[in-house]
Amino acid sequence: MVKIYSTPYCVYCKMAKEFFKKNNVAYEEVDVITDDKFLDEMVEKSHQMGVPVIDIDGEIFVGFNRPDIEKALKIS
Amino acid sequence: MYDLVIVGGGPGGVAAGVYAARKKIKTLIIAETFGGQSLVSADIKNWIGTKSISGFELAKALEEHLRAQEDIEIIDGVLVNKVVKEGSAFKVVTSDGKEFQTKNVLISSGSRRRKLDIPGETKFDGRGVAYCSTCDAPIFKNKRVAVVGGGNAGLEAVLDLIPYATEIYLIQRSDILKGDSTTQEKIKSDPKVKIITMAKPLEIEGDKFVENLKYEDRNTGEIKEIRLEGVFVEVGSIPNADMVKDLVELNKYGEIVVDHKTQRTSCEGIWAAGDVSDVIYKQNNISAGDAVKAVLDIYGNLNKN
Repeated sequence: MVKIYSTPYCVYCKMAKEFFKKNNVAYEEVDVITDDKFLDEMVEKSHQMGVPVIDIDGEIFVGFNRPDIEKALKIS
Repeated sequence: MYDLVIVGGGPGGVAAGVYAARKKIKTLIIAETFGGQSLVSADIKNWIGTKSISGFELAKALEEHLRAQEDIEIIDGVLVNKVVKEGSAFKVVTSDGKEFQTKNVLISSGSRRRKLDIPGETKFDGRGVAYCSTCDAPIFKNKRVAVVGGGNAGLEAVLDLIPYATEIYLIQRSDILKGDSTTQEKIKSDPKVKIITMAKPLEIEGDKFVENLKYEDRNTGEIKEIRLEGVFVEVGSIPNADMVKDLVELNKYGEIVVDHKTQRTSCEGIWAAGDVSDVIYKQNNISAGDAVKAVLDIYGNLNKN
């Protein structure tokens, strides 16, 4: 399962979401400013406070590094 | 063998790509991403012909304009690591180990963020130290933050933070702010914002996350502290000229020295345009124009030979 923690104007979050759409990857989006519990969850998972955080089946990625995400999703 | 390899996908690289394609110059453009440094801007109001556009939308528009050209090859997602001179031509080496032969090179690789380079900055990167205010400002809701740097990027970071943070300290090394006066007026009128000039950041401290910023008051030499949870760093940029540093003349800032009539560098066959060059004004519109100038000069040069 793919989950992305984002904020409304975060461009790297947008790039990640466009990438998921383009590659037909189903994902759940959580806007961390809507509820502090989401922010806490993100910080707990990633041990840091920057967005995006992408959780791919429990593997945590900070930021959007396309090659890393492609590898994790086995997209070539 | 290409006639031209363009390095970079910002306004300069894309403008060059469009012109080169329309001139039917055999061109390859290599871009890590599109849009350049404005990618993270929430709102750009000075891209001529467009009243208001986000960095993300500008990046998309630039990429679309480039991909609409028929006569150009595009590689994205990789960096150019090195340009090597081979006789009168060049070999361009990318971060994934590929090599491309070309007669001419246009370097429009822009610049990257300068870091503060003080203790605690790396340790707390992402743990209170932040570099993208449009991305991370909301995370500092109800928190105290500092923005280091009083140029346009610093002022815009303050604007991004105003809706969320409780107190915003704008830390500037010199005695005046340098960004646009309209933005200065906006932030000066906000009661959340405290401007501290003549301040030199010394150290970022904390336990798991940022708790404290130490700085020197440059008027008195006194060491002062601010209790806070976030430090946004906006202290300028470093040109991405490493790939040609052994081939072309750089100035003391590491920028590629160009002839401003033609964008030629000190090495025949290499041109440079935009923020990577020693152009005084680092602006999207200027980068695009200078890159076009370079391509027209390259075109003239190719036809002469």
